[in-house]
Amino acid sequence: MSHEIFMPALSSTMTEGKIVEWLKNPGDKVERGESVLVVESDKADMDVESFQDGYLAAVLMPAGSTAPVGETIGLIVENEDEIAPIQEQNKGKHTEGSSSDQLELPNKNSEIKEEKQNEFPQIKEQVVEVRKEKVLTPSNEIQLNASTSNNSSRVIASPKAKKLASTMGVDLAKVHGSGPHGRIQADDVLKANGQPVSIPWIGEGSSPASIASPSAHVQDESKSETLGTSFGKPGETVQFNTLQKAVNKNMESSLNVPCFRVGYSIDTDKLDNFYKKVKQNGVTMTALLVKAVAKTLKKHPQVNSSFSENGISYPENINIAVAVAMEDGGLITPVLKEPCNTDLFELSREWKDLVKRSRAKQLEPDEYSTGTFTLSNLGMFGVDRFDAILPPGTGAILAIASSKPTVVANNDGSISVKKIMQVNLTADHRVIYGADGASFLKDLSSLIENEPEKLVS
Amino acid sequence: MINRTSIIKQPDKISFFNDVYKLQKEYQDGLISGKSNMNLIWLGEHQLCYTLGRGSNKSNLLFSSDEHDVYKIDRGGEVTCHMPGQLVTYLVLDLNDYNKDLNWYLRKIEKIIIKVLRSFNIDCAAKHGFTGVWIGERKIASIGIGCKRWVTIHGFSINVNCQLQNFNKIIPCGIEGCLMANLTDYNKNLDVNEVKKIVKKIIQEEFNFNFVSE
Repeated sequence: MSHEIFMPALSSTMTEGKIVEWLKNPGDKVERGESVLVVESDKADMDVESFQDGYLAAVLMPAGSTAPVGETIGLIVENEDEIAPIQEQNKGKHTEGSSSDQLELPNKNSEIKEEKQNEFPQIKEQVVEVRKEKVLTPSNEIQLNASTSNNSSRVIASPKAKKLASTMGVDLAKVHGSGPHGRIQADDVLKANGQPVSIPWIGEGSSPASIASPSAHVQDESKSETLGTSFGKPGETVQFNTLQKAVNKNMESSLNVPCFRVGYSIDTDKLDNFYKKVKQNGVTMTALLVKAVAKTLKKHPQVNSSFSENGISYPENINIAVAVAMEDGGLITPVLKEPCNTDLFELSREWKDLVKRSRAKQLEPDEYSTGTFTLSNLGMFGVDRFDAILPPGTGAILAIASSKPTVVANNDGSISVKKIMQVNLTADHRVIYGADGASFLKDLSSLIENEPEKLVS
Repeated sequence: MINRTSIIKQPDKISFFNDVYKLQKEYQDGLISGKSNMNLIWLGEHQLCYTLGRGSNKSNLLFSSDEHDVYKIDRGGEVTCHMPGQLVTYLVLDLNDYNKDLNWYLRKIEKIIIKVLRSFNIDCAAKHGFTGVWIGERKIASIGIGCKRWVTIHGFSINVNCQLQNFNKIIPCGIEGCLMANLTDYNKNLDVNEVKKIVKKIIQEEFNFNFVSE
């Protein structure tokens, strides 16, 4: 009889935990209530105990790895002679257990949680396969406990698919698997639930620039395939989708607005250095730029204003909308509300969450329609400069281009190479005048060039 | 019945790390086994020593381990340093009587430290992703918690007027370039005893304790 050890939830908000250390090695005797491993969340450690007298038969996730809450991370058997068959089935996995050298596995950053999960898909898949084998070979001595057989006896599915199925309430038994040997993939679950499978490509600016490594920021492989493709084939006319129609309407309404443009070149050397430092703590370039813009808008309420029939309307809040392109056409503008009241780390987290939910098309209307000022960043494509079209209901939008090494003549007549980012403000001249826009850009530039560390709080 | 009673210990003399560690373990075991229903709050100072969490990276120690006392203990977080002039607070607390949520508990402890410092008119804050309490870019208080069956062990330390150069021998909390601060940098009149009184008072308020002396 084998019993699973699950990743426990150390807090209500925790979705996954890091295994710090296995206190027992496979084959070790464990008593009920004895600590078997240590799981860490932030600065708190939790001992995970065995609920069973027996033997630790297998370690399925090694020390240093991260597992979703509820994931099986180890197996305990009641009798010593059950260890060998379990270990046999898990051969080549992490049954070596907790030698101290495994503590050296790279693991520090909690920000890479998502990738972490993907780093060990093999292991998890094998776990599922093992269970299947158990069922298909009834001669095997090892019985499954009831909960295991309910979940996975007849169904072969990837862990992600299982997670999705349980959150969406999809019955895996009814899903057709498209993977090897009919294994159910996450996409199959989405399909079964009637959701679009394609992941929209999101133009999230992770950097103002990075021409030095041209390929680094051109998204990942799966996305790069979609770059440069169009929505239709040559000779076809493709109907606008709902989102595209909405964008069209918004863009056309700008034709009735007397807009002007004003540009500025900003030296980003200090900002880039600062970004390098805070990046490891999960800070995104978008959050930095949003923070800089919001802080500057606070000093320039005129640039946050908009035209209304009754006069110049000054919103109560500063809410920054950021344009995000969708893979299947159209764009959406998730809003970071009151960035001045949120610290940089929280803001980055909010932004990642908004992008994630934009992809899943799960944004609430007030999360994309309440912007008072808009940012559009095409820096990741290496563009020199561009200008943006003003969204209706707002007074200004800032177009951010790539930051590139540029030969600069300094005030003292010397020449140096600095990273220069061009920004271009488009504004409604009925409410924002040239001088307003220019002095806003001057202060924005000064903040980014001289005091990027102020963007933390 | 919910147990909100705690023994409070606040020795005036410097305590050896190992003695207090054993004491905490006794109380933790007592609560886990159900033999005792007493939480423990310990407030005091240690002789100079360095402690490592279980997941700690030894490369954050910048000296060879025979040079100073180094203890590897059952808490989260990276290396830190204790010494006279630093107020150490340990809480052996049965979270089954409060909230079985370690994130809640860590935030609660940050809140306690912030309240203590604000009572001395020192402006400080918690930083998302960097558990502990900070005055600007300087770290004033460190947190490290262990937990077994929802009974906590270890706690937090506040630098009052200690020799901060002892932190130069480590990378505190694994954050490179991390600067530490003393409370006396911001309020000259403070000493460990003064801070101890306020910590005790605010812990009592926040956890709604009845304190019992032995």
